[in-house]
Amino acid sequence: MRGKKRIFRIDYFLKLVSGFIAAAVLSLTPQANALTWSQVLEHARGQTVDWFMWGGFPSTNAYVNGYVAPRVKELYGVNLRQVPVKDISEIVSKLLVEQQAGKNEGGEVDLMWINGENFRTCKKNNLLHGPFADRLPNQKLVDWTRPSVHNDFGEPVQGLESPWGSAQVVMIYDSGRIPHPPQTMGDLLDWIRKHPGRFAYPAPPDFTGSVFVRHIFYHVSGDAAFWQGEFDEKRFNEAAKKTYMLLKEMAPSLWRQGMTYPENPVRLAHLLADGEVDFAISYHPAEASKMIHDGLYPETVRTFVFKEGTISNTHFVAIPFNAAAKEGAMVVADFLISPEAQLKKADPEVWGDFPAIDIERLDPTWQEKFNSLPRGIATLSNRELQTHQLPEPPSEILIRLEKGWQKHVLKGR
Amino acid sequence: MNPEPLNVYTISTDTDARTRESTSLSTTGVLVAPALLVVVVLFGGGLVLGVIQSLAHFPAADSDRLTFEHFANVLSDPDFLQSLTLTLYVSTTSTAIAAVLSIMLALVLIALSVRYRFVHFIFQIPLTVPHLVVAVAVLFMLSPTGIFSRFALKFGLIDSSASFPLLINDRWGIGIILAYVWKEIPFITLMILAVLRNTGVELLEVGRTLKAGPWQRFRYITLPTISPSLGAACLIVFAYTFGAFEIPFLLGQTYPMMLPVWAYKNYSDVDLLARPEGIATGIIIAGVIIVAIVLAQTLIQAARRRGVVL
Repeated sequence: MRGKKRIFRIDYFLKLVSGFIAAAVLSLTPQANALTWSQVLEHARGQTVDWFMWGGFPSTNAYVNGYVAPRVKELYGVNLRQVPVKDISEIVSKLLVEQQAGKNEGGEVDLMWINGENFRTCKKNNLLHGPFADRLPNQKLVDWTRPSVHNDFGEPVQGLESPWGSAQVVMIYDSGRIPHPPQTMGDLLDWIRKHPGRFAYPAPPDFTGSVFVRHIFYHVSGDAAFWQGEFDEKRFNEAAKKTYMLLKEMAPSLWRQGMTYPENPVRLAHLLADGEVDFAISYHPAEASKMIHDGLYPETVRTFVFKEGTISNTHFVAIPFNAAAKEGAMVVADFLISPEAQLKKADPEVWGDFPAIDIERLDPTWQEKFNSLPRGIATLSNRELQTHQLPEPPSEILIRLEKGWQKHVLKGR
Repeated sequence: MNPEPLNVYTISTDTDARTRESTSLSTTGVLVAPALLVVVVLFGGGLVLGVIQSLAHFPAADSDRLTFEHFANVLSDPDFLQSLTLTLYVSTTSTAIAAVLSIMLALVLIALSVRYRFVHFIFQIPLTVPHLVVAVAVLFMLSPTGIFSRFALKFGLIDSSASFPLLINDRWGIGIILAYVWKEIPFITLMILAVLRNTGVELLEVGRTLKAGPWQRFRYITLPTISPSLGAACLIVFAYTFGAFEIPFLLGQTYPMMLPVWAYKNYSDVDLLARPEGIATGIIIAGVIIVAIVLAQTLIQAARRRGVVL
């Protein structure tokens, strides 16, 4: 009788303690099912992670399928499958439908590579799992205070996505054809007027076309930093109007007299390679080198950034709210920012994408490895790129410019 | 294009009156049921869901009330008429060209009495090529720096790639029409050949003994013989070209865009409010196709009643 009573008391005590612990854990992490990292690894083993991403860049596909997938299998027993999509916004639409239909678990998408616009949509509609990024062991290598990591297109990240790499816009040209390319946006615009039919940009809402329009927007408004602050309706409307006017006036000097536009940067790259236009635009500083290496561009192709700078950003991966393999996805996201994976990704022979982690935070041997990476013949130096960076405006500006471009420039209203 | 309707038709022409009589209604019902079920549940269900979504308020949280707002937005868009005209123009033109060329091709093949099995085999190859592949092939061949242009440049037919005629992403949808014509000719030809092979030759001989000229034989014997299957094939092709997305997306102009491209753009817009409009556009496309089919059937019936042989 006494013994039974004691057991009961211990049981009661344990329940109380575990209740306290649970309450403490709950108050510390917003996730009720928070696991320690070793538990995450345990759950992840054997899971199959379907990673939906834009599949238009062969070197990215090769990096993911040829390197990341076998490595996460080897290290963590996670089966990674890349699911290439044309536009990740299709997946966001799909998630929204699943949310409406109440499909809260067992979703098809485990990990997705998203951009700022779609991140904003996902965040506003609670389509994301997390915060999870702050729980990844390798996040200590990321400098979260950097504006382009802290905010994704002006939208606070808040641990809902994990950085993967960084990118910056560069202009691509063939030095064999154009020995002295224009150095500023103003000079480029003059060049376009003087050489009708030799320039094109992809039609927004294509990502690359859209970023070109934002450079014009910065050019006419004369100040990139201003737009990072509070949104100013009046100033925006003035600058946007000037942007559309300029692009509309420029249209007859474009490829095909601006009657049609390339649908994406891949088509634009073909036009440059085929000699139909003299410039291409890329959001990947090392893409031109990679394409020379692959024999798609001639050896004489080079890149440049404008004197006033070009737009740069960080790209992220996120986990949908209903992902079937959340733990597996977290393990993959963590592996992506490991020094090993980031170094491999930065290799121009592989992809040449710029690191999302802060190289300074690594120990000297790793730093040395990053610094001694061969740079592609057409890739600008880190210094040249980093001293010419402009921030992305908040995605509200981006969306309004895309809509405005379609209305005023494309349809001429 | 799915080759299935073709098989269905071939079977029905091969079936003679006796077997049709002996097949009881219930057996037919059992045989048709699986296919009918799939069509009704998957296609009809999708259509109904689409209609509901295009009528629903957004976000879904307060979607108790139905609204015609999205349809109104699409229909009142100044671009709608332009897109509709362009889409109608592209699909009727490509259907008409494909039909005329198919009739000519079928007649030649019958006249040369080419072995049907061989023709069937050859024609099945383009039928199995996806439209997307056709679009990319057309792009590589006909763009200003494509294969044709490069050959023309090499042989001095043009002085620079800029003087090659614009056939891709052009104002008149030439690239789109060419891609569709290439893809649909084998389909229509096979449909016509199936009929001509069974009935055409004897009747033509009768016509010849009655001293009918080549044009008379074509007008009063061949055309009435092939017109039901030709009409059916043309309607399928029209419906497909009116609603398909990939070829106009790759080979069309950025603006004005064909209705299917417009629907896709709205559906995949970052602005989620554009989604119901994308679905509404899709429903409108389906509506136009249904109207076109009903109209075509009514016209044919009326023509038959008035005794016009067609």
